[in-house]
This record gives sequence, C-alpha cells and structure tokens, in this order.
Amino acid sequence: MSEHDKIRELLALAAADALTSAEETQVAEHVRSCIACSNELGAWRPIASELRRLPTPQPSSWLVQATLARAEAKLTEQAEHDWNRRVMIVFVAFALLLTIASWPVFHFVSRRFGSLLELQFSHTWICFAAFTALGWLAGGVAAVMLAIRQRGERRLA
Amino acid sequence: MAVDADVVRLRRGDLNTLPELITRYQNRLYRYLLRIVRQPAEAEDLFQQTWLRVVEKIRSFDASRNFDAWLFTLAHNLAIDHLRRIRPQSLDEPLANSWHSENLAGRIPRKDYTPLDHALAAERRSEISEAMAGLPMMYREVLTLRFEDEMKIEEIAQVTAVPVSTVKSRLRRSLEQLRYALEARYPGDTWQ
Repeated sequence: MSEHDKIRELLALAAADALTSAEETQVAEHVRSCIACSNELGAWRPIASELRRLPTPQPSSWLVQATLARAEAKLTEQAEHDWNRRVMIVFVAFALLLTIASWPVFHFVSRRFGSLLELQFSHTWICFAAFTALGWLAGGVAAVMLAIRQRGERRLA
Repeated sequence: MAVDADVVRLRRGDLNTLPELITRYQNRLYRYLLRIVRQPAEAEDLFQQTWLRVVEKIRSFDASRNFDAWLFTLAHNLAIDHLRRIRPQSLDEPLANSWHSENLAGRIPRKDYTPLDHALAAERRSEISEAMAGLPMMYREVLTLRFEDEMKIEEIAQVTAVPVSTVKSRLRRSLEQLRYALEARYPGDTWQ
C-alpha cells in the first residue's frame, strides 16, 4: 500500500479528531502536497461538523423524578436485604452456639435419666448428631425456599 | 461542584447527590441510549435501569477512575442485553425512525446565519440523523460517543469493551457508511 493510500484511510479519522499526533503530522504534510487528499479531507469535514451539532433529544420531563423514585425504592429494598442478612447471620450464630451448648446438657441429662430408668442408650451421640443435622437441614431448606420466594416477589414487583 | 465530588459523596452513601447526578447526565445518557435502541420508551426504561445499576454498584466503583466511562459502560451493557433479549435480530437492523422531541436550543438560529443558511443546516442535520439511524448499532454507538459525547477514543474503548484499534476501525467504517448512505439518499447534494 502506497503512502497516499495509507493517508487516504486516515482522512475520515482526521475529520473525527481521532488520530495520534504522529498521524496528524503525517496527514497534514501529505495533504499540503496532494490535492486529491486535500479535497477528500474537505469532504469529510462537513459531515464531522454536522455530527457534532446534531440536536440532543430530550427525555420526558417526568423521567428524573421516576428514576429517583425507583432508585429510592431500590435503596430501601437493598437496606432491607442487608438488614435481613445481618439478622440471619445473628440467628445462625445463635443456633450454632445453642447446638454446641446443648451437647453437654444432653449428655448429662441422657446419662442421668438413662441410669435412673435403667435404659441403655448406646447410640445417644449418634441420635443427637442425627437430630441436629436434621434440624439444620430443615432450617437450610426453609431459608432456600424463602430466598426463592423473595426473589420471585422482587421479579414480579 | 465537580462531578467527582458528587460521585465520592454518593459512594459514601449520601443520597442527596443522586438527583444532582441524574439531572446532570440526563441528556447525554438518554441521547446515548436512544441512539442505540432507537425507541424513546425503551431508552427511558434503560435510563432508569442504568441509574438503578449505579445505586447498586456504586460501592464497587473506583473513585479514581472516570465516572463518565463507568456510567456509559453500565448503560452499554444494559442496552446490549436488552437488544439481545427483545430484538436479537435488530442489533444490526437499519430503521427509518427519526428522532423526536429535539432540543429547542439546537433549533435556535445562530446570529451569523441567515435564515436560508439555518434552513439548509437544519435540513443537513435532519439528513444526517436519518442516515445515522439506518446504520448498524455498533456504528451508531461509536458515532454518538465520539461526536455527540465527545469522548476520547480510549474512553470509547472502555465503554464498549473493545481495543482502541477496533474503536478506530469502527469509527472509520461508520463514517464511510454514513457518507455512502448520505450520497445514496441525496445524490447531487454537497456531501462530497
């Protein structure tokens, strides 16, 4: 590709002020000595100039207010979501603590009542662990179902 | 007050800056979205969605970066998702709808123009608007960002998530297509 052809490809970008300074110098030097490219650049200029002066379409007058209302609703929802999450974390931590604390209590009570009633609880710990796991599983499923429902409600809203 | 200061305040949770920011960007953002989707109702909905996204993501915005580019990137992503979902075939589809409710300031004649000059200039802008509306989406986008929003090539690259070389190539092709469209629509006019 000759230099003339290369410069010709840059002319539209020159009218758009989208050239590097090196390219700009190259184009300016070439255009000074090449009438065809000078004319071509002259043809691009009015298009670029008119593009810069296109009328700006105006949005509806209520748009800003409507956007603010939606943004405020979104922020309220976000704050509620954050609060729910914090409460959930506190509850989960409390449940965990309660579970851990209940183990020695359960152990003590099961031994005492077991000896009083002469019952043999050989699998006490397994039963207790299974009971705990079931409780947590039920809690987890409930939390997931609640989250799905809330997401559905948000989508409908 | 600089936009950056408003953005920093919004990042800190000061919601009083939101109306100011929305008002400041409303014309530019709406124009950009309208150029992409071409339907005023859709552009207005996307405008609202963009600001909701701003509210949602503002905490993750790096205040040292350019807010304009970040805002337009959010708008770009939402508009592309919208077009893919609603009219996937229309991403490159030409349309003959012209703009509506244009800025009155753009219609006021400049003092150094005669009424005839003004009429000719208005006609030219109308011709360009119509020809531009018929271009593929990515060409309309690069033209509006460069000429109407006066973004730098690097900023356009950031908004559209493509390399600078691609932006330049798109810009050149969009201008060429626009010129061909003008010459085809208005043969004998003084576009060349």
